[in-house]
Amino acid sequence: MQNRKPLLLDGAMGTELQRRGARPGRLPELLNLTDPALIEDIHRDYVAAGSRVIYANTFGVNELRYAASGHTVEELVAAAIRIAKRAAGAQARVALDMGPLGAMLEPLGELTFETAYDLFAQVAEAGARAGADLIVIETMTDLYEARAALLAAKEKTSLPMYVTMSFDASGRTFTGCTPSAMARTLSGLGADAVGVNCSLGPRELLPLIREIRQNTRLPVIAKPNAGLPDPADGHYSLSAADFARDMQALAEAGAEILGGCCGTGPDYIRALGDIALPAPLDAYEPRSFLCTPTRPLPIDGVKVIGERINPTGKKRFQQALLENDLDYIVDVAVRQMDAGADILDVNVGYPGIDEKIMLPRVVKAIQAAVDLPLQIDTTDPGALEAALRVYNGKAAVNSVTGKEESLCRVLPLVKKYGAAVVGLTLDENGLPDTAEKRVAIAQKILDRALALGIPREDVWIDCLTLTVSAQQEQAQETLDAVSIVRREMGLQTLLGVSNISFGLPNRQLITQVFLARALAAGLTLPILNPNQPGIMEVVAASRVLSGEDRQSREYIARLGSAPEAAIQAPGADMTLREAILRGLKSDAARLARQELTSQSELALVEGVLIPALDAVGAEYEAGRVFLPQLLSAAQAAQAVFEVIRESLLQKGEKRVSRGKLILATVQGDIHDIGKNIVKTVLENYGYEVLDLGKDVPPERIAEAAQREGVRLVGLSALMTTTLPAMEKTVRLLRALPQPPAVCVGGAVVTPEYAAAIGADYYARDAREAAVAARKALG
Amino acid sequence: MFPVDEALRYLGAAGDAGDTRRQVEGMAALLEARIAPRYVWRVFDAQTVSDGILLPGADLLLSGSLARRMLAGCRQAALLICTLGAGFDAMLRTWQARDMAGAAVLDACGSAWVETGCDRAEAELAARYPALYLTDRFSPGYGDLPLTLQDDFVLLLDGGRRLGVTVTESHLLLPMKTVTAVIGLADTPQPARIRGCAYCSLSPACALRKGGTPCAK
Repeated sequence: MQNRKPLLLDGAMGTELQRRGARPGRLPELLNLTDPALIEDIHRDYVAAGSRVIYANTFGVNELRYAASGHTVEELVAAAIRIAKRAAGAQARVALDMGPLGAMLEPLGELTFETAYDLFAQVAEAGARAGADLIVIETMTDLYEARAALLAAKEKTSLPMYVTMSFDASGRTFTGCTPSAMARTLSGLGADAVGVNCSLGPRELLPLIREIRQNTRLPVIAKPNAGLPDPADGHYSLSAADFARDMQALAEAGAEILGGCCGTGPDYIRALGDIALPAPLDAYEPRSFLCTPTRPLPIDGVKVIGERINPTGKKRFQQALLENDLDYIVDVAVRQMDAGADILDVNVGYPGIDEKIMLPRVVKAIQAAVDLPLQIDTTDPGALEAALRVYNGKAAVNSVTGKEESLCRVLPLVKKYGAAVVGLTLDENGLPDTAEKRVAIAQKILDRALALGIPREDVWIDCLTLTVSAQQEQAQETLDAVSIVRREMGLQTLLGVSNISFGLPNRQLITQVFLARALAAGLTLPILNPNQPGIMEVVAASRVLSGEDRQSREYIARLGSAPEAAIQAPGADMTLREAILRGLKSDAARLARQELTSQSELALVEGVLIPALDAVGAEYEAGRVFLPQLLSAAQAAQAVFEVIRESLLQKGEKRVSRGKLILATVQGDIHDIGKNIVKTVLENYGYEVLDLGKDVPPERIAEAAQREGVRLVGLSALMTTTLPAMEKTVRLLRALPQPPAVCVGGAVVTPEYAAAIGADYYARDAREAAVAARKALG
Repeated sequence: MFPVDEALRYLGAAGDAGDTRRQVEGMAALLEARIAPRYVWRVFDAQTVSDGILLPGADLLLSGSLARRMLAGCRQAALLICTLGAGFDAMLRTWQARDMAGAAVLDACGSAWVETGCDRAEAELAARYPALYLTDRFSPGYGDLPLTLQDDFVLLLDGGRRLGVTVTESHLLLPMKTVTAVIGLADTPQPARIRGCAYCSLSPACALRKGGTPCAK
C-alpha cells in the first residue's frame, strides 16, 4: 500500500477552448466536426500532463439540443470518441461524457423522466458503439436526471459508470440534493464511482467529500473548479500550484479519482502528479437509510411510517383512485407529513386499478409535493419495478416474504434499484405461531438478500401483528420476535400496529399500549396513522424515554403548546357560514356534518355554501378582503364539499356537481399558480374542474373539450409570447361541432384582447372566473 | 429586511395592516429562513449601434429602442441573473397541496424576494465600480427588449452551471422565480428611467395602476 497514487482525470474542456481563442458558443460539440485538431490538441495536452482518463467532447450532445443542428447524436459522439481515442493512444482511457440535458425534469420542468431516460440511452448506446471505455455522468444538479442517465447507461451498455454532481456553497446542489442522498442513491443504483465536479474550488469541497466518503463504499471523485470566478470578468482564482495543494487535502479526505473542471488546464493536472493517497480510509457508515434528494433519513432511532395511502376499507380513497384524483391522494400525503410522519407507505392496490400505471403516477405526484421518503407497497412485481424506476432517491419496498416465489421476484428488483426491503415473517406454511419460527424466516430472508449483494442494513423485518381479540397469545409472540430480530440480529423492525385492536372497545387505548410495548421491545419503524394525535404522542414520549429526543425538544414542541388548541376552539355558537367566511376548515367540516343531520346535501350547498362564498367574493371585490382570505374561504368550502361527498358516497348517491369545465395554462406557459387559484375557487362553488395542467397544446385542449363535452373552457396565459397559443386554442375550440364557451385570463390578457380573439368571457381574477362560470354553466 | 410591502402589493393588498400583512410576515419568515436569492453578474463593454446596443465581448446585440435609450452614454453594461432556485418551486408545490391561500402568499413573497436579490446584486456591482453611475435595471420582455435574450444571458453567464437556471423553448426561465436584467454603467448620472407606468407594457391591463397603487413611482 506504499505510494498509492490517485487516478488522474483531465481538466476543463470549455474554459480551455476559450483560453485557446475558440468561441464554443451554443453548440460546442460541433467542433468535433469543424475543428477536430483543436479538440485533439487539448486531449493530447491532458494525456501528456498525466490524465489517465480523458472525457470526450460530448458533454452537451443530446437529441434535444442538437436536433436542429443538422447533425445526429451518433455522428457527434462517434467523432468525439474517435478524436479522444487518437489522442489517448494506449496511455489513457476514453470516457463518454454525459452532462445535463439542458431542460429541466419534472416536477420542476416539463421533461418527463422517461423522455430523459430515452435521450441519455441514445447517447450511451452511441458511445458504446463508438468504443468508449467508460461513461461519466457529470455536472448534474438534479438527482432525478442523474438517475435517468445512470439507469440508461446501466441498461444500454456494460461500461463502467462514474457519476459526479455539482454542489454550491450551501453544501447542496441547486435542486437541494445533499451529498449523502446522492452517494446512497447512486451507489445503490450501480454506479462504479461517485463524487463532485465543477461546483466550487477544492477547498470548499472538503466537507462534501467527507460526507460522500461516509455514505459510499465506492471510489470517490473530486473534479473541482480552479477556485471561484471573478464576477467582473469571469476569471478563475486559483493557480495550478494552489489547486494541487488544496487537492492534496481532498485526497486525504478520501477522494481517489482526481481532476479539474472550469478554469483548470493541463498545468493543473500535471501539478496533481505529486499527490499521494493515504492508506485506504474506512469511513463508510453502514446504516439503514432512506432518502429523497433533499431529505436524507438515516434510520437512527424510531421513525414513523404513515399508513394512510392505502385504499383498503376507505371508500373515499377508492373513489379517488377510480377517478384518477391524484390531488386527493397528495392531500392525504401532505396531512401525514404535517402530522409528523417520517416515511409514507404507498399502496394503490384495488380492483379495477392497473397498479403498473397508477403506482408510478402516484409516486411522482407525491414526490412533487411532499418531501418524505416512500415505502412502495405492492404485491405486483411489475408495478414495483415501475414505481422504483421513477422514485427519486432511495426507497423502501414493502414487501418480500419467505416464500420462494416472492424471494425470487422481489429481491432482484430491490438489488437493482438499491432499495431497502421489508421482509414479512411468513412463508409457504403461512404465519408461524412462535417467535422462534418467525425469526427463522427473518434469517432466511436476510441470507437470501445478502447472497444477492443487498447490504444487511437494507433488510428490515416485519414480525406481523395479529388481532389480539382473535388470537390473544400471539401478541406476546410478535413482541418476542421483534425483540430477537432487533437485539440479536441487529435489523430494523416494522409493525403495523393498528391491526392489534380490531373488535375491541376503545381501540386506540389497546393500540397505544401495544405500540408502547413494541417500542420497548425494539420496534424501530411503526406503521401507523399519524393523524391520530394519541398514537403520535406515544412515539414522542417513547423518544424522550429512550434519549433519542435530546432534552425532550420535540416532545415539548408537540405537547408543550397544548393550551393553544383550547384558545382556537370555536364558540359553540359559530355558524357554518361564519366558519366559511373565516376560512376555518375543520370547523366548517364539523358544522357541515351537524347540518346534514337536518337538511339535504343540495340544500346545504345552495342555502349556505354558495351564499357564503358570494359574500366573501363581494368583500373581495370591494377590496375589504384580499386573495388569501378569498382562498381560505374557498378551502373551508372545500372541506364542506368533502363532507357532502362522503355523505353521498355512504348513501350510494352521485356527487353534487354544478357542471364540468376545463382549465389549462396555454402552450409555452409554465407558470400555473394563477390557474390553480382559479381551480380552487371554482371547485368550491361546486364545479367539477378537469385540470389539464400547464404548457398544454391547443390540440389537446380541443380534444379534451370534445371528449368530455364540457360547456366551458378556461385558459390562462402569462407571457405576451404565449398569447398566440391562446388565440389558436380559442380558434380550435370555436371550430368544434358543439363549441364550449371560453373564458380567458392571466397577467397579459386584457378585456380587449379577449374580445379580439373571440373569447366569451374575460376574467381578471378567480372571483371573476366564478362569475363567468355561473353565467356559462348556471 | 424582507420587502413585506412589496409582497402585499403583488397580492393586491397594498398597505394592508391586518390579516394579510400578518400572513405575509409569517410566510416571509419561513421563506427567508429556507431560501437565499443567488445571483451572478458580469460586466461587458457596450457600444451604441443603429439597431440597439452591442456588447462586442459577448457577441450580443441588445436590440431595440429601450436598450438604446436606457444605455445611451454607457460604456459598459452588466448582465445579471438572480434566482430563488428550485427550492422555491418545491416549497410552492408543497404549499399548493397544503393550503392554496398560503401558496398565493408565498408566491407573492417569492416575487418580492427575488427582486431583493437583484437589489443585492446591484449593490455589489455599485460597490465594485464606485466611480460609475448605474442606470435603472431593466429586463428582456420589457418594452421592445426581446424575451429571446434570456437564452443568451443564461448562456453567457453560464447560468446552468452557476445557478441551475435553464430557459424553456418559449424563452421562459426555470426555476420559476428567476430574473434576468441589464444595468448600464456610465460616467455621468443617467436620466433615462424604466420604472413607472409610462414605460411598462403591462400598464393597460394593470390592476395596481387602476387601483391607484402602482408598483413604482
